[in-house]
Amino acid sequence: MSNMEQAAPRSLIFERLGGGKAMWITTAVMVVILAVLPFILPNRFYIRLVNEIMIYGLLAMSLDVLLGYTGLLSFMHNAYLGLGAYATGLFMIHIWPESIWVAMLVGTVFTMAVALPVGWVQVRTGGLAFALLTLAFGMMFYTVAWKWYDLTGGDDGLMGLPQPDITLFGLKLASSGNSTAIYLFTLAILLICFVFTWRVIHSPLGAVLEAIRENEERASFVGINVRRYKLIGWMLACGLAGTAGSIYILYRGYTGPGVMGAFEGAGVLMMVLLGGMGTLWGPFIGAALFIVLKDQLSSWTQDWEIFIGAIVILLVLFLPKGVAGVPALFNRQSGGED
Amino acid sequence: MFAITVDIILNSLVLGGIFVIMGVGLNIIYGLNRVMNLAHGALYALGAYFGFSVVAVGGNYFLALLIAPIIVGILGLVIERVLITPMRKRSMIYTLILTYGLMFVIDGLIKFFWGVETRFIHLPEFMQGTVSLGSASYPVFRLVILIGIAAVVAALMLLLGRTRLGINMRAASEIPEMVSACGVNVRGVQISGFVLGCMLAGTAGVLAGPLFTVFPIMGHDMLISSFVVVVIGGLGSLRGAVIAALMIGFVQTLAEFFITEMAMVIVYMLMALILVIKPLGILGEGKFE
Repeated sequence: MSNMEQAAPRSLIFERLGGGKAMWITTAVMVVILAVLPFILPNRFYIRLVNEIMIYGLLAMSLDVLLGYTGLLSFMHNAYLGLGAYATGLFMIHIWPESIWVAMLVGTVFTMAVALPVGWVQVRTGGLAFALLTLAFGMMFYTVAWKWYDLTGGDDGLMGLPQPDITLFGLKLASSGNSTAIYLFTLAILLICFVFTWRVIHSPLGAVLEAIRENEERASFVGINVRRYKLIGWMLACGLAGTAGSIYILYRGYTGPGVMGAFEGAGVLMMVLLGGMGTLWGPFIGAALFIVLKDQLSSWTQDWEIFIGAIVILLVLFLPKGVAGVPALFNRQSGGED
Repeated sequence: MFAITVDIILNSLVLGGIFVIMGVGLNIIYGLNRVMNLAHGALYALGAYFGFSVVAVGGNYFLALLIAPIIVGILGLVIERVLITPMRKRSMIYTLILTYGLMFVIDGLIKFFWGVETRFIHLPEFMQGTVSLGSASYPVFRLVILIGIAAVVAALMLLLGRTRLGINMRAASEIPEMVSACGVNVRGVQISGFVLGCMLAGTAGVLAGPLFTVFPIMGHDMLISSFVVVVIGGLGSLRGAVIAALMIGFVQTLAEFFITEMAMVIVYMLMALILVIKPLGILGEGKFE
C-alpha cells in the first residue's frame, strides 16, 4: 500500500487523478486519434471493428479490476456483459424506448442487482472456489438466456431494438442508428468509465484491493474486512461489465445468448492476459490484439479455438505479464516472477 | 408410480456415480498438486471419444473401458510434465488460466479429428435390451454401467485405503513435507495423483458415452457439474465429493424429470443455498489455498 496519495501535493490535476503526466497525455492523444478515425477512415467495416474493440476493451478493463487488482478470477465475465445487454434491450423494447441514458442506467443497475447476491455467495467461499463459482453462475445465466424463450428469444436472440436519439441535457445530438454517432458515443462512455475506474483504483480503496491481492491474511490482520472489499471490487467490475453490455446492444442492435458463452469468457480472459493485468490500459491493447487476431484467424482456419487455447497456454508459460510486461523483459533488474 | 420411482432412483445413482468419479478425480489432483484442472471435462470427452474409436475399430465396450483411460492417463502424464511442472511455484490463478486454455485446445483437437457430429458407442448385443424389475423395466446397459461405476469406485477405495501408493497419496495431500521426510518420493506421488485423476476422467467418459451420447462439447456441462460437486463437498475432501455427487445426481435427475428445460438452474440454486449455510462446503476442511 502506498501513502503517496496523502503525501503528494494536490495542486496538479495529474497527481490528483493518479498516474503520471505521460500516461494522461498518451490517453488524450489516443482519444483524439480514435475520435477523428471515423472521419478519415472511409471503410465502415473497420469503424465497426474499432467500436467492438472499445466495448470489449471496457469489459476486459472491468475484469482487470477483479483479476489484476483484487486477485480474483472470473471465468465468465462476459455473462455480466450479456446481462447488461439483455436488461437494456428488454427495457427499451417493452418499457421505454425513448431515452438512451435511462436504458443504459437500467442495464448497469440491473447487472449490479444480479451481481450482488452472486458476489455475496462467492466472496464467502474463498479464492479458488470463487473462480469455480463464477463459471457455475455464468453458465446459469447463459442457460437462462438460452432457454427462457418467451423472454429472451432463446437462440434467436433479442431483436427489433428501437433506435433512440442520443441526447445530452435534452439536446438531440444524433440517432443511435448512425454508426459514427454510436462510435463516438462509445468512445465518450469509455473515457468516462476509464477515468472513473482509474481514479477509484488509485484511491485508498484501490490500495486496499491490492493489499487483498498481495496477501489476504495480512490484509485482514491490519483490520481490513476482506470479504466486504472483495465484494466491492466484484460490484465495480460487474457494474462496468453491465455498462459495456448496454453499449454492446446499442451498437449491435441485437444480442443472442452466444455472447454469454464459456468460450467468449475465455476470450475476455485472454484479452486481459494479452495486454497485461494490473495496468487498466493493458486490457485495451489486449482487446485490440485479440479481436484483430480472431478476425484474421477465423478467416483462414475453422479450428481457431485450438490456436486461441494454445496462445493462452503460451502466454501463461512465457509472458504472464502480457504486452505491458514486455519492457520489463529487457530490463535486467526485474525478473518476470510474480 | 413404482416404475417411475425405480427409474428415478437408478438414474440418479448412475448420474451421481459419474459425478463421483469426476469429482474424486478432480479432488485427488487438487489435493496433491494444488491444481484445479479445468481441462478435466475435456479429458472426459476425450475418454469417451477414445472409447468410441476402440469400439469402432472392432474392439469390445469392455476393452474400451480398459484402453481409453490408459491413453488419457498417458496424456495426463505429458500434460503434467510439460505444462503443470513449470507452474508449481506460481500463483494458482495461472494454472487455472493455463488449464482453461488447455481445455479449448483439446476441444478443438476433438473437433479436428472426430468432427462435430454426435457419435454413438456401439454396445454388445446383451446390453441392448431391457430388464424387468417387478412392474418396472430398465435398460440393461444402464445397469451394466451402474455396476461398472461401482467397480471403479470399489477399486479406487482399495487403492486409496489398502495400497502403499494410496496411503502415500492421502498422506501427501495432508502434509507433503512430513511424507517427504519419511523417505517417500513426494514428487512421484504427486505425479501419479495427477495421472490417476486424468484416468478417472477418461473412465467417466467411457462410462458416460452410452448414456449421453458422444459429442465435442460434452465435457463442458460435466466440468461445471464436477465443480459444483467439489465446491459443495468441500475442496479436497473425497468423502465430501462422494456425498455431494450423489446428492447432485439425485436433485438433477428429479429436476430433469419434472421441469426438463431449466433443471440446471435448480442445481445452481441448491449450490448457492448450501454455500450460504456452509461456505466451505459440506465437509470443507476450513482452508482453501
